[in-house]
Amino acid sequence: MKFMENTKINFMKLKSFGFGFSSVLAFGSIILLLMGVNLGIDFKGGTAIGVSFSENVSIQEVRGSLKSVSFNDSLIDLSGEEIKYFGNQSDVMIKIKSLDNEPEDFGQMVINHLYDSMSAKVPENKNDFILSLGSVSPKVGSELSGKAFWSVVSALVLILFYISVRFEFRFALGAILALVHDVIITLGIFSLTGFEITLSTVAAFLTIVGYSLNDTIVILDRIRENMKSSGTVMFESTINKSINQSLSRTLITSLTTLFVIIVLLVYGGEVIRPFSFTMLVGVIVGTYSSIYIASALLATIYQSSNK
Amino acid sequence: MDSSIRNRLLTILFVFGLGIYALLPSIRYTLMDEDKKSNLSDDQIDYFESRSIKQGLDLKGGIYIVLEVDLPQLIDNLAKNKDNNFNEFLIDLKSEYNNSSRDFFTVFEDLAVENELKLPRYFINYGKTKDQIISQLSLQSEDSIKRVIEIIQNRVDQFGVAEPTIQKQGNNRVIVELAGIEDSERARDLLQSTALLELMIVKNVESTNAIIRQIDSIMSVSNSKDVDQDDEINELFDSSSSSELGFSSLLISVGGNLAIASKDLAALKDILFKEDVIQILEATNSTILTSDSSIKLVNEIGQEEEFYTLFHLFNNAELTGGVIEDAQMRLSQAGVTAGQAVVEVEMNSEGSREWARITGANINNRIAIVLDKKVHMAPVIRSQIFGGGTVIEGMNSIEEAEDIAIVLRAGALPVPVTIAEERTIGASLGADSISKGTQSMAIGLFLVVCFIVFFYKMSGLIASFSVMWTLILLLGVLALLEATLTLPGIAGLILTVGMSVDANVIIFERIKEELRNGKSVRSAIDSGYERAIRTIVDANLTTGIAAAVLYQYGSGPIKGFATVLFWGIIVSMFTAIIVTRFVFDFVTTRKNIGRLSI
Repeated sequence: MKFMENTKINFMKLKSFGFGFSSVLAFGSIILLLMGVNLGIDFKGGTAIGVSFSENVSIQEVRGSLKSVSFNDSLIDLSGEEIKYFGNQSDVMIKIKSLDNEPEDFGQMVINHLYDSMSAKVPENKNDFILSLGSVSPKVGSELSGKAFWSVVSALVLILFYISVRFEFRFALGAILALVHDVIITLGIFSLTGFEITLSTVAAFLTIVGYSLNDTIVILDRIRENMKSSGTVMFESTINKSINQSLSRTLITSLTTLFVIIVLLVYGGEVIRPFSFTMLVGVIVGTYSSIYIASALLATIYQSSNK
Repeated sequence: MDSSIRNRLLTILFVFGLGIYALLPSIRYTLMDEDKKSNLSDDQIDYFESRSIKQGLDLKGGIYIVLEVDLPQLIDNLAKNKDNNFNEFLIDLKSEYNNSSRDFFTVFEDLAVENELKLPRYFINYGKTKDQIISQLSLQSEDSIKRVIEIIQNRVDQFGVAEPTIQKQGNNRVIVELAGIEDSERARDLLQSTALLELMIVKNVESTNAIIRQIDSIMSVSNSKDVDQDDEINELFDSSSSSELGFSSLLISVGGNLAIASKDLAALKDILFKEDVIQILEATNSTILTSDSSIKLVNEIGQEEEFYTLFHLFNNAELTGGVIEDAQMRLSQAGVTAGQAVVEVEMNSEGSREWARITGANINNRIAIVLDKKVHMAPVIRSQIFGGGTVIEGMNSIEEAEDIAIVLRAGALPVPVTIAEERTIGASLGADSISKGTQSMAIGLFLVVCFIVFFYKMSGLIASFSVMWTLILLLGVLALLEATLTLPGIAGLILTVGMSVDANVIIFERIKEELRNGKSVRSAIDSGYERAIRTIVDANLTTGIAAAVLYQYGSGPIKGFATVLFWGIIVSMFTAIIVTRFVFDFVTTRKNIGRLSI
């Protein structure tokens, strides 16, 4: 089947537009991120509780029940914490910031409180009531974020190094900037949705890094090959030619990946949803950035160094 | 068949065989019905469990707890001659350590220097200089973490969980993973209870009354002191709050015991932590503890209220849990407790001798059985007890009695542990993620196959075949590595499928390009592969680097992701470059094909 063969699209004509578009997106994302990311308990500590009622409940009801919870022999008001549905209207997820002098079994205490105070709507066996319970002390939270941060940074540095050796530094620069671009914009869109960032969303971001990198390298590899015959003169047309040559591959691969991700998004269940969503955004942004960031940056860098 | 093709075929068959062999136990175990599973011998179960791909707690449900040894508490326990200076230092140490990621003993040393604390004064048993003391203390802490791991291992083994994982993390943490546990509340208590059993003599009524009067007078003095200082402020407040009326106002008498309402427990804690009160208790060698279980009473305004019994005890334990040889849950046969769960304790010979001596010397006194600073019961000793057997009553349920028996057998933790991180996944949520996850993987895979067959016809079929094998081989590798599959791991699988499809697409597009340039099928395949391989290797190696780094630095879930990704890259390069190439070569050398279905 013929698909996107022998295309001669002038991608680089829209280079400036692409830069502008990406800058706006990236800038907007950074502002969104500065306004506050919804960090999960993995990174800032706290308690997250998922419970499954036997019938539909309203958030108001749960909030009301959390108005007075006994805590260290006194009563505290947890109704201001984040409470939301989890998949359907009988499952509820509650996220509580870490408190001073939190007792060890704080999460269990809150679960027990809900179980007792909303006894008309809970399953008979308490174990069926508990969907999940997570608690992370602030100390562990800061350690986990430190680790996640440094692992991403050192991966990027090593990749930069590898591409510099295999291609050249200017290629590596374009590839890394494209990666940073992808992650920032995906993070920005992600924070718009209100999903929270947990260790498994970090894994999704790493998947995007891997995916986008793969995509970028394939195009850069073509550029390198075509440069051998045409040199660095008319660099934009070399890049256009390379992108066109690999266009069918880029689109076919992106489409197949998108199939899997959309299926995952629709049928994958609640736990995996933030992950699938991140992937969906990331693949689209990643495909775009291989062309308009990695390659276009390369064109700009070569142009300015040839002048 | 020429020899190069035969050798390649043998290699490929060998690798495929290995993959199937590695996966076989997982497949057999998953397909086995529950009846058959329950008939397996322990050895067979061990075999299947170790050879199958393990599901992470996020998929299977279970409890993951990171316990942290309470090092500040350990230091507190080891210190002698504690004074105000030291106590303040300890409070600083706690908050400083909990808010920084530095090593405990570095923080300890810095703070000791900063506060000009004379360490030999408190730790003379551990050395004469600061450095000596710190190195000895850190040895002590290592020793206690070893003990903690041993004891927790013991407790978990006796609790009976399939495949528990217990491992040390860093200097002072223990990771405990219990898969498939339903009752997380019970598991948590079992892991965390210090299980320090103490037998302490209850002080007589006269000295108890005396100490209450003394505490009352301390409080009235300190209150009047407050009045002197904050004359004006005090006028603004209602001057009859319970704490000002003194200690005795919190107490009521219930059947010969003193009791305190549960709402006043916080006030009691405040009183007992007052320095003057601590001094009085130390001077009289006594301590005040409350009961483990509560009683419900109707108070003066007709409401039901919870009360805890208060005990005034000799501070030094006559016997501790160390002398226990065995502890078992039993249902009590006789007396008022008939039918209730109790724990029967047997002591070793040394403990039995001591026990006989204590009971002999304290006839008609009461002895309190104290577990983790909570009084379980305080019976009157009627006669001397020989043989070292005793029974602990006051359990709320059979489960509680079973668990207390377990922790008594396994021994007390040398130092308390706190929960630094906990993740409990209910079995239903885990089952939900795994069924939906596999279902959507299957649907996704099916769509991918349709899509590439639609695009590349016969060649697409070959590619689909190679993607299938990528998955099978990757799962085989994971089974061999005894890796655990978690949700991020499934993400890694998806990325691998993506990259494996991609490798095929790159190759096919190259071949098509060569065909368009007028090359014959044979040479188009050859040069297409040759050119594509470089691209594929570069793209995969860069991702491989990322995976390796993540494996090095990442924690738990990220590590799982990195493992899958790393092996996925290797396997998908194998299937795309070697396996599909072989199929193409095999087909095209046998007959001279004029047109390639691509």
